[in-house]
Amino acid sequence: MRLLLSSLFYRSPFENLQKHADKVKECAQIFKEAATCYTKKQWEKFEDLTDYVAKLESEADAIKRNIRNHLPRGILMPVDKFQFFDYLREQDKVMDEVEEALYWLSYRPEGLPDEVIDDFIDLVDSVVPAIEKLPQLVTMANGFFRTKSEEQRTKMKSLIHDIHQYEKEADLLERELKGKAFSAIKDAKVVFHTVEVVGIVGNIADHAQNASDRMRAMIAR
Amino acid sequence: MAANIGANDLANAMGTSVGSRAITIKQAVVISTIANALGAMLAGGYVTNTISKGMIDPGLFMDDPNKLMFGMFASLISAGLCVNLATFYALPVSTTHAIVGAVVGFGIISVGIDAVNWSKIISIAASWIISPAVGAVIAGSIYYFIEKKILSSKDPLKAFKQYAPFMIFLVFLVLILSIIFKGLKNLHLEFGFFEIVLLTIPCAALCGIFSRNWILWRVRTGKLHQEQREYSPLESIFAQLQILTASYVAFAHGANDVANAIGPIAAIFSVVKTKAVILQVKVPIWMLLVGGIAVGSGLLAFGTRVMETIGKNITEITPVRGFCAEFGAATTILICSRLGLPVSTTHVLVGAVVGVGIMRGMGTLDLRILKNIALSWIVTLPFTILLSMFLYKLFIWLL
Repeated sequence: MRLLLSSLFYRSPFENLQKHADKVKECAQIFKEAATCYTKKQWEKFEDLTDYVAKLESEADAIKRNIRNHLPRGILMPVDKFQFFDYLREQDKVMDEVEEALYWLSYRPEGLPDEVIDDFIDLVDSVVPAIEKLPQLVTMANGFFRTKSEEQRTKMKSLIHDIHQYEKEADLLERELKGKAFSAIKDAKVVFHTVEVVGIVGNIADHAQNASDRMRAMIAR
Repeated sequence: MAANIGANDLANAMGTSVGSRAITIKQAVVISTIANALGAMLAGGYVTNTISKGMIDPGLFMDDPNKLMFGMFASLISAGLCVNLATFYALPVSTTHAIVGAVVGFGIISVGIDAVNWSKIISIAASWIISPAVGAVIAGSIYYFIEKKILSSKDPLKAFKQYAPFMIFLVFLVLILSIIFKGLKNLHLEFGFFEIVLLTIPCAALCGIFSRNWILWRVRTGKLHQEQREYSPLESIFAQLQILTASYVAFAHGANDVANAIGPIAAIFSVVKTKAVILQVKVPIWMLLVGGIAVGSGLLAFGTRVMETIGKNITEITPVRGFCAEFGAATTILICSRLGLPVSTTHVLVGAVVGVGIMRGMGTLDLRILKNIALSWIVTLPFTILLSMFLYKLFIWLL
């Protein structure tokens, strides 16, 4: 009886969500470094970083499973549980796609053709900041659900808006790059590789945007 | 018994305030001891009467007053045993429920089924289910109101200034009303209904305006920010209000739960003193005071540790949430003790916390605990009924 009141309170899943988001951010930073190494043909370092991302991804997967397995029925949350899971799924997909992009790069040790390298780096540069905003978004959400303050909500909305902007930019670059791949590169194999890699990097931004949209739904009034 | 109540129930009652860091543990102990003793003294009479004579008819013990004494003694022991056992097995059993069960048990075995005032028992049992629900509704609505009108507004501080007098007025209104309605009866002051209303409303309004200005003055002078750094200014305002509601909970607790422990003692006492069963068991005010002090000392002795644990575990409670839950719980408890229904402070508080949670105002709540509570209702009654029957027979046989 003595701990009746405290046994009413369940450990908040936001703690783990924050950990997951931090892993995603770390992954994004490594991804940027790895992509630079790839374009500079620093093959060994690229492989090390790819392995590291794979390790991060499996750690994040464990956190994700932990969150899902420890939210039994009968837990009352400030947000709809399914919206919460939707957000988690999108945040996790960001990481999956980062890993996938690095794998696709590694399939062709020859590197990307010179014609698209600069644009590719631009694309990566516009995708990474979008991902880096996610942990901040989770921290703010946690605060918002504690205080329900309108000020906090406005700040979150502007952060989500920023993520949308990055995604838009990445989208434009992705289209441009794909067009360039078809027009400038002669070898069909290389075209296929380039288009595939660019598509996957574009997806990373899409998932970051999806995640932010789920967050927007969670804080909707 | 009273000390046990102090350590567990009251620590639970103050848990929402300690958890939100609105008050320190030391403050909690002091506030709850004082408010609890006041509650027991001023408003405890009703429930005590129910426990000592509302549930069973003392008139049936006219021929052998000792029977009543033994029975009440057996009830106290079996209820205490049940609560301690349940605590050991981590079942959320309520002292209130244990006492009610025990008194019913000895009533059945000593005189027979007819000795028990069943309609009263049914209303008590119904109140166990209804009271957490009422607590939930009140707490939930207040939270909903605060979120919509204050937290979500563009300028929360301005909105607070606008609604605060009304809210604080409400807190004081219920508090003063409950003191006047019941407490003053104990002090042999009688007022008519209109006199009470006339007296209460200006009183509460004055308190409301005064408190609001006092809080705003504290905000202006920046005193609040140093005390509660982790919260926004608005939250720290509610932390101040929570001191009020926390005292209110302790007061309501005193009115209700202290009576549970005192009820049987009051019955024993009157038998010993008069050597006969008088139909009007009058509860001496000093007895309620002793009960209040006993609960307070229990809190002093064991409560600190319990509160530390609770404070550490309940980080999800913010001052706003704590305020709503405490207000809802205390109001419900006061209404119930006004009706002479012994309810469990802890269970009502849980109901109120869940009520805020349903309004999407709480962090993560584990509703599975509600199943445990329901289970404890089902387990407590048969256990204490049988145990007090057994103890009663044992006493009769021994003496």
